[in-house]
Amino acid sequence: MNRRIAIRNMALLLGGTVLLPSCLNSKGNKVVQLKHITLDDDQQTLIAEIAETIIPKTSTPGAKDLKLPEFVLLMLDDCYNKKDQLQILEGLTAFNNLVKSKFNKDFANLSIKERESFLNDFESSAKQAQKNSKSTDSINAFYWAIKQQTVFAYTTSQYFMTKQIVYELVPGRYNVHVPVKKLKSA
Amino acid sequence: MANLNIDSVKDRTFDAIVIGSGMSGGWAAKELTDKGLKTLILERGRDVKHIKDYPTTNLNPWEFPHHGTLPNDVQEANPIANRCYAFHEDAAHFFVKDKEHPYVQAKPFDWIRGYQVGGKSLLWARQTQRWSDFDFEGPARDGFAVDWPIRYKDIAPWYSYVEKFAGISGNKDGIPELPDGEFLPAFPLNDVEDYFSKHVKSKYKNRHVISARCAHLSKPNQIHLDQGRTQCQNRTLCQRGCPFGGYFSANATTIPWALKSGHATLRPFSVVHSIIYDEKLGKATGVRVVDTNTKETIEYFAKIIFVNAAALNTNLILLNSTSNRFPNGLGNDSGVLGKYVAFHNYSARISGEYDGYKEYTTEGRNPAGGGYIPRFRNVYKQETDFLRGYACGFYAGRYQQHSEEGVGESLKENLVNGELSPWQVGSHMMGETIPKESNFVTLDKSLKDQWGIPQLKISVDYDDNDEKMKKDFVEQLTEMFTSAGFTNIKASTNHQAPGLDIHEMGGVRMGNDPKTSILNKWNQVHTCKNVFVTDGASMTSTSCQNPSLTYMALTARAADYAITESKKGNI
Repeated sequence: MNRRIAIRNMALLLGGTVLLPSCLNSKGNKVVQLKHITLDDDQQTLIAEIAETIIPKTSTPGAKDLKLPEFVLLMLDDCYNKKDQLQILEGLTAFNNLVKSKFNKDFANLSIKERESFLNDFESSAKQAQKNSKSTDSINAFYWAIKQQTVFAYTTSQYFMTKQIVYELVPGRYNVHVPVKKLKSA
Repeated sequence: MANLNIDSVKDRTFDAIVIGSGMSGGWAAKELTDKGLKTLILERGRDVKHIKDYPTTNLNPWEFPHHGTLPNDVQEANPIANRCYAFHEDAAHFFVKDKEHPYVQAKPFDWIRGYQVGGKSLLWARQTQRWSDFDFEGPARDGFAVDWPIRYKDIAPWYSYVEKFAGISGNKDGIPELPDGEFLPAFPLNDVEDYFSKHVKSKYKNRHVISARCAHLSKPNQIHLDQGRTQCQNRTLCQRGCPFGGYFSANATTIPWALKSGHATLRPFSVVHSIIYDEKLGKATGVRVVDTNTKETIEYFAKIIFVNAAALNTNLILLNSTSNRFPNGLGNDSGVLGKYVAFHNYSARISGEYDGYKEYTTEGRNPAGGGYIPRFRNVYKQETDFLRGYACGFYAGRYQQHSEEGVGESLKENLVNGELSPWQVGSHMMGETIPKESNFVTLDKSLKDQWGIPQLKISVDYDDNDEKMKKDFVEQLTEMFTSAGFTNIKASTNHQAPGLDIHEMGGVRMGNDPKTSILNKWNQVHTCKNVFVTDGASMTSTSCQNPSLTYMALTARAADYAITESKKGNI
């Protein structure tokens, strides 16, 4: 077996990148090297807490219950180009700084209410800013990537597609002229 | 001791060789083996067995590593394949990766390929329409290319023959320019598609919006059950390969049928280098194959050779089949081999909304995709400042719209409780392009692939006729949409490179005159009678119907002729 394949297979056996050995960064934080990007514990926590704020645990499961943060990290690592990844990571720092300057603590230490109103306010002012100018800064690149991937992760999760809506792999029918009323009561 | 003979010429000799196992090659294999010919099917790629080799076919969205999104690395490594609408996480394994099979773009050309048993028949959009004499008489009437050596009456029985076996759903619409066939029940138009159909019929004399005819088993007949196929289950995940055999693919249909006969030998990983021509016998004696794994060259022999490598690769094989008799490629006395390549113009679309039928929607999915508008321009007479015309797809549908604003519990609720959008309508053009000598393929003089075969150099482009036609599509469809009361109408045109339509044709065209064509009316090389070309390469012109059904019919017809001629001792 060629060496490259052997290493890849070993990584698969170990459960992929998540279980690869981590090391410490200069601040003493554990650093996880994904395939393309590197994140320390604090950065991963921030992403997980934002995801949990976007899709919180209510009477139904939240982001953490559904392992959405892991999927968001996978998407950030695999499905963005280098340029976007750099901007998103830069935006992560900027986001963190913005929270600190406003509350004098980390996002993870805010109350749920504070987190929600901060993100809702962030969204409305971003929408307002977008109307005025088209430039997107790194903080926006970061937030909207996390938002988009969290919503995508949630709406394509097994939980959502089996318990919240019914995804049909095999519809077995195409009916035309279906009354909307009937559809809703079904 | 029998093993001693394994490499003998006898063991490498067959009654017939079929190069390619896709849309048309599968049909050649089926027809030849049905008649008892010992047939070698050569496929350059790997084997893909029906169901067994469809790894993604039963996966739910959440079971894909990236829930359907292709990783950036894969997209960046494959800029050409990545432009194809079906190149996603569920079907990327059926597409040729750019780096593995390089070619030279003298002009931009997105060459989308599927190198495996079944070829692109696994991935096609399954639209199937017959040609009529308005198409076959096109070049002669409008003065381009050369006259087709056949007319509708020559191919009509063969359309019926392949339709019955493949399973085509559609309505008998009674439109002369789009002849009716042997149909299974059509997939219905929905309310807004039907409304548009009726509106167009009342406003325009010769414009029709019909249920798209497609290669799906809406209601299988015994012949389809005999193939091991069952009714289409409306999954519309066809590009993954269908576990029901609900649509026609070579994998589900012709290839297993040929293998079941006991007369077929399927050899994957076998790229054809060239066809062997025997100067003394004055005909081809076999093919030279490179085993793609071992890189060993092996020769196989047969009395009859069918070339079905897909349009441009068929050109490549013939151009690379040189001999003293044919220094410029097999059958190429005329010098037209590789020339007069054409394609379909898909570079414009239009969308809109309809405010009516708010109380109704659809349920399930439509594998036919919606409606089809046969060509209405320049059919009975020349009426525009461009030649020929275009067919159009037409579709209407509603989707659940959700607000994704904000975060928290309200967002969670919004993601579940959307409301239905107004009806969205859309149409795209499928335009005929005119084959020209200046649109051609050649072999690159120095670049070769990893098997030592010259790379194909493609030089194909749009022309002024295409631009005028595109403009006309936008004008006509805007008018039709407006008069139907559609709103928010938006036309978009693009400059997608030729090739992305995946309807490249020609280069080995049929014709009456050996001085200006390569193939006769039986898809037989004029000057090498035991070689037949029945894939897209043989097309004299392109018309605007999706071409696969015509390749199937031409193939079955040519195979029947080849067998008859062989029995007579003529080839």
